Amino acid sequence: MPAPGAIAVREAQGTGLAGARPARGARGRGEGFAPAVPALALLLCCFALPVLALLLRSLLDPRPGLENYAALLATGTYYRVLANTFLVAGTVTAVTVLLGLPLAWFLAVAPAFWARLVFGIVVLSMWTNLLARTYAWMVLLQSTGVINRALIALGLVSAPLPLIDNLTGVTIGMVYIMLPFMVLSLRMPLAALDRETFRAAALCGASRWQAFWRVFLPLLMPGLASGALMIFVMALGYYITPSLLGGTSNMMLAELIAQLVQSLLQWGVAGAAAFVLLAITLSLYAVQVRLFGVRGAAGG
Amino acid sequence: MSAPFLSIARIAKSYAGTKAVDEVSLDIAEGEFVTFLGPSGSGKSTTLYIIAGFVEPSAGEVLLGGRSLLAVPPHQRGIGMVFQRYTLFPHLSVAENIAFPLRVRRRPRAEIADKVDEMLRLVRLEGMRGRRPGQLSGGQQQRVALARALAYDPRILLMDEPLSALDKKLREEIQGEIRRVHVETGVTVLYVTHDQEEALRLSDRIALFNHGRIEQVGDGRDLYERPASAFVAGFIGNSNFLPVRVVAAAGRHAVVSCPDGFELRGVRVAARPAGAEPTLMLRPERLWLAPGGAGEGIAGTVVDAAFLGDCIAYRVRTGWAQDLAVRTPLAALGGAPAGVGQEVRVCCEGRHAFLFAAL
Ligand SMILES: Nc1ncnc2c1ncn2[C@@H]1O[C@H](COP(=O)(O)OP(=O)(O)OP(=O)(O)O)[C@@H](O)[C@H]1O
Ligand SMILES: [Mg+2]
Repeated sequence: MPAPGAIAVREAQGTGLAGARPARGARGRGEGFAPAVPALALLLCCFALPVLALLLRSLLDPRPGLENYAALLATGTYYRVLANTFLVAGTVTAVTVLLGLPLAWFLAVAPAFWARLVFGIVVLSMWTNLLARTYAWMVLLQSTGVINRALIALGLVSAPLPLIDNLTGVTIGMVYIMLPFMVLSLRMPLAALDRETFRAAALCGASRWQAFWRVFLPLLMPGLASGALMIFVMALGYYITPSLLGGTSNMMLAELIAQLVQSLLQWGVAGAAAFVLLAITLSLYAVQVRLFGVRGAAGG
Repeated sequence: MSAPFLSIARIAKSYAGTKAVDEVSLDIAEGEFVTFLGPSGSGKSTTLYIIAGFVEPSAGEVLLGGRSLLAVPPHQRGIGMVFQRYTLFPHLSVAENIAFPLRVRRRPRAEIADKVDEMLRLVRLEGMRGRRPGQLSGGQQQRVALARALAYDPRILLMDEPLSALDKKLREEIQGEIRRVHVETGVTVLYVTHDQEEALRLSDRIALFNHGRIEQVGDGRDLYERPASAFVAGFIGNSNFLPVRVVAAAGRHAVVSCPDGFELRGVRVAARPAGAEPTLMLRPERLWLAPGGAGEGIAGTVVDAAFLGDCIAYRVRTGWAQDLAVRTPLAALGGAPAGVGQEVRVCCEGRHAFLFAAL
């Protein structure tokens, strides 16, 4: 009897998409959750429980109390790392938005063939191994790397630019990694755009520039905001790229946590640092839900 | 005569070998309401989009007040347009949508406010100014689109099947609104539809499109009573087409012989031949039934009689097995209507019949 199962799936999707849609009845609701149970169980085991363990550890290791948090907040290093983390995440997000918007405009107005080709290229880069891509950037950005040598050969600079082991290198590497995420989160609002709407704007007298600011940008705003938040939050916790392309002088939070665990074996302090990061992330999410609703914040 | 207001001169557009628009020429007077009517794919929208500036013609010229429009980008053409799909800006309220063209023109605030009020009155949506497009019905959205297109006093208003997504009753209501708005504003309107009734109801003149060409331009009566081709006759109103033989022809009149030998005199000859076979066109409402037997008319048998409220629609099978449609208004019915199976004669006056033939 396939019918009840099919209904249950549809209800589950309905509640997932619409956020808090009231269930029609207790029976419907119970059945509706069944398909989501495996995924929820996985999340519980692999995310909720470790987070809880981490929280407990930060509160109990080595003694019960808030001493880990006190130790963390007492060190200047922590504040420097936190500031640097926010600086990097903010810069990466801003640059990604600045690059992503014109790209989205292109995808919206270009002939379908070119739009699909460019979209494909952008998303394809995501399928290459992250570590490999980061090492590739190391090769490119070194003072003896391709970019610097080309710049010198062209006579644009006389000495190699410091493109690696600093914020520039981290930003370049991370923007490159984040851009596909931005394009993906703009995909839905882009698909919902109607070309005729832009034609209407043009006939109303709007130049391309005005159409961009007054029509395109507002319509894309929810997708842009959710994309930016996702990228900012991902950037806050990034590890590989900052540790390979950034220098030791501008450490990010994930690097600090790794150091605390691996070199200093201070699990409690590391837990406290991780937990502060999680708290910051959740409050950012809350802000976005307030501004754009669950759908906007969830990227839809 | 002075130069026409809008002049479309031999414009053409091909897509991958197919001619979407094929040498279309049309002069339009200021304040005129001209409708492009024609079957699907006949090039109506393409012609409109060329005027709007979204499609570049492969050849030809569009002149507004004697000056070429083709080099002017769409946003500087000063043309208003209502599209087939709903194209209101979903993030703006009704009032903000109407204000949009004035905002991008940086008009003073007070002027914008006045104009928005005026436009809302014009399309009778005063109570809806704060709503978002998503909270309006299709008909209301198209009225807002009309207001938005007229807010900046465009010289030309283009409409591409603006009512095709609406049901019949709403369509008729908004047709009335469009007519009133046209009279009140005096704007020149180019209107696309494939609904002949809509075209007849709204337009000063109709340009009938077929295969990227204009078959005939004229007012409704011209097209209906003096069709230039069998295509026009077939598209506008209902018609019977009879294969005939031309017995005699003099000037614009002819004598034809129907397949059963009945001869009709004083038949008018259409301006353009319809091809090899001479064809006689008879409008169902120009025909009447006489009792069977000897006399004028095409002998036949009633095979269907449907009461349609204001008239009776007959189908009469002729001796050569063609069904002719005949419509008799109730007022013209003397006595009881003819019943199915009855022998009748289908009568017609020669001046209401049309001959399409290469003479
Ligand atoms: N962008 C395009 N690419 C290729 N062919 C096109 C394009 N636009 C229109 N055509 C073709 O040109 C012809 C005319 O199209 P057009 O849209 O002008 O017809 P229409 O009279 O408006 O029809 P409808 O009543 O269906 O809207 C059609 O055969 C159509 O397939
Ligand atoms: Mg069309």
